[in-house]
Amino acid sequence: MAKIIEVENLTYAYGDGSAFVHDAISDLSFSIEKGEILGIIGHTGSGKSTLVQQLNGLLKPTSGRVLFDGKDIWENPKEIRKVRFQIGLVFQYPEYQLFEETVFADIAFGPKNMGLSGDELTERVKEICSVIGIPESYFETSPFDLSGGEKRRVAIAGVMAMRPQVLILDEPIAGLDPKGRRDVVNMVAEYRKAYDATVLIISHNMEDMAMLADKLLVLNDGKLLMYDETRNVFSKPEVLREAGLNVPIVTRVFEELKAKGYDVPTDIFTVDEAVTYLSNRKAGGSRA
Amino acid sequence: MLKDITFGQYIERHSPIHKMDPRAKLMLLILMIVFLFLSHGFAGLSLFVILLFAGIALSKIPLKMFLRNLKAIWIILVFTAVINLFYGSGGVLLVSFWKIHIYSEGVKRAVFMALRIMLLIMLSSLLTYTTTPNDLTDGIESLLSPLRFVGLKNAVHTLAMMMTIALRFIPTLVEETEKIMNAQKARGADLEDGKLLDRIRALIPILIPLLISSIRRAYELAEAMECRCYNGGEGRVRMKRLHYGKVDLFAAITCVFVCVGIILANYYINF
Repeated sequence: MAKIIEVENLTYAYGDGSAFVHDAISDLSFSIEKGEILGIIGHTGSGKSTLVQQLNGLLKPTSGRVLFDGKDIWENPKEIRKVRFQIGLVFQYPEYQLFEETVFADIAFGPKNMGLSGDELTERVKEICSVIGIPESYFETSPFDLSGGEKRRVAIAGVMAMRPQVLILDEPIAGLDPKGRRDVVNMVAEYRKAYDATVLIISHNMEDMAMLADKLLVLNDGKLLMYDETRNVFSKPEVLREAGLNVPIVTRVFEELKAKGYDVPTDIFTVDEAVTYLSNRKAGGSRA
Repeated sequence: MLKDITFGQYIERHSPIHKMDPRAKLMLLILMIVFLFLSHGFAGLSLFVILLFAGIALSKIPLKMFLRNLKAIWIILVFTAVINLFYGSGGVLLVSFWKIHIYSEGVKRAVFMALRIMLLIMLSSLLTYTTTPNDLTDGIESLLSPLRFVGLKNAVHTLAMMMTIALRFIPTLVEETEKIMNAQKARGADLEDGKLLDRIRALIPILIPLLISSIRRAYELAEAMECRCYNGGEGRVRMKRLHYGKVDLFAAITCVFVCVGIILANYYINF
């Protein structure tokens, strides 16, 4: 598979040259393959949000490079807005950025900034809404009249409407009810399927990560601690705990069971896996 | 860009200036500003320069922090200086072309005006850097408390509470503004380029979410305050009482000396 984003020796220092300088990110290098779902985890203040803001050019690296499709995104600083159309970033609680009078206008804001207008713009908004399941009946309502989960979906659609090849979501399902969470997860999956997009998700929630991510990138104090398949990362609980993180609760349950002397594996990371394992075992046990 | 605004930001140090009573600091600052504007010439201003630098040295806050506040108003400084440059018509004619004549008196005036604004800002920064916003509003409340005798019983407390809340939320709002700006930039909003009208229009996607979240915050705060049985100033006691101390006396004496110096300078030194 082709590499879509490459990060080379990326360092970012906060502060203005005075005594307060500290590295939010130091000397990160990794690459992201096209089409994968990458989870970024780390404790609060580990540099996750800083990292993703470097990826779409909202922050300029202090040193090091970010390559998108093999090209340095800062090669031509005047064109940095174009990078932001290709690498879409959805911030935490994106519903707080809604501002237009109608849902349609708000979703159209991004594509409009890209220079689309008229029928092309309308088509673009309609297309993205049909892909991710926002009914056209919403178009003329005010985004402020929607429920929390719906607002979140409209806000995310506003970024998706730019049709970015890479979609980055910062805590996309934090603070939503179960239906809202399911809806957001589904819309991201639909978007990915329709446009063959690469998805990056930041989260604190290990259960969500176990369910969603193919690979995990673990940050600790601005440094790369692990970058591996989700299963491999979760099979090193000691390392995760040292970084202020943990394995999913289901995995912890199985660890406890094992400690109590039961013969169970500890590489169970989602509730679904646990259900499958336990029902298999029950079926097998009753047969024996 | 937004981080440059350091007004109303307290810097913690252990210094005599920090220990002063906020009421004393406020009153002396007002006194000094009045005399700053009463002062006619450079002789008087030099007294303020000495006072300011003594204050800065005592406060243990780096000079750089004070200069940073000037950076925010440099346009006003330059504007005032340039306007005044053409004003005075005494002294030697320095430059003369077309209809523009610059006299030495004008140059003197321009420097004087600019220096006066710089002193005003830096003296005020000395107050805001060394006094926590809460102390500041306590001081204001206490200084305004005589107003209760003229029927404004609750008004003073309400006003002080409003100021405390406003100050408390400045950093929060700055942070929020940055977040919203970044979010809109991620959607391709162009905040840096374009004509004036385009730039003003580009502010709408930032101002509306900011306004909405401010209203939301206000409701939340009001509810939280009511949950803790807040019902105005009636019967509230202070955890921290204000006391005048020796430092305040010493500062007051110094300032009185400066005032006397200004009066004398105005009468006897014509520079």
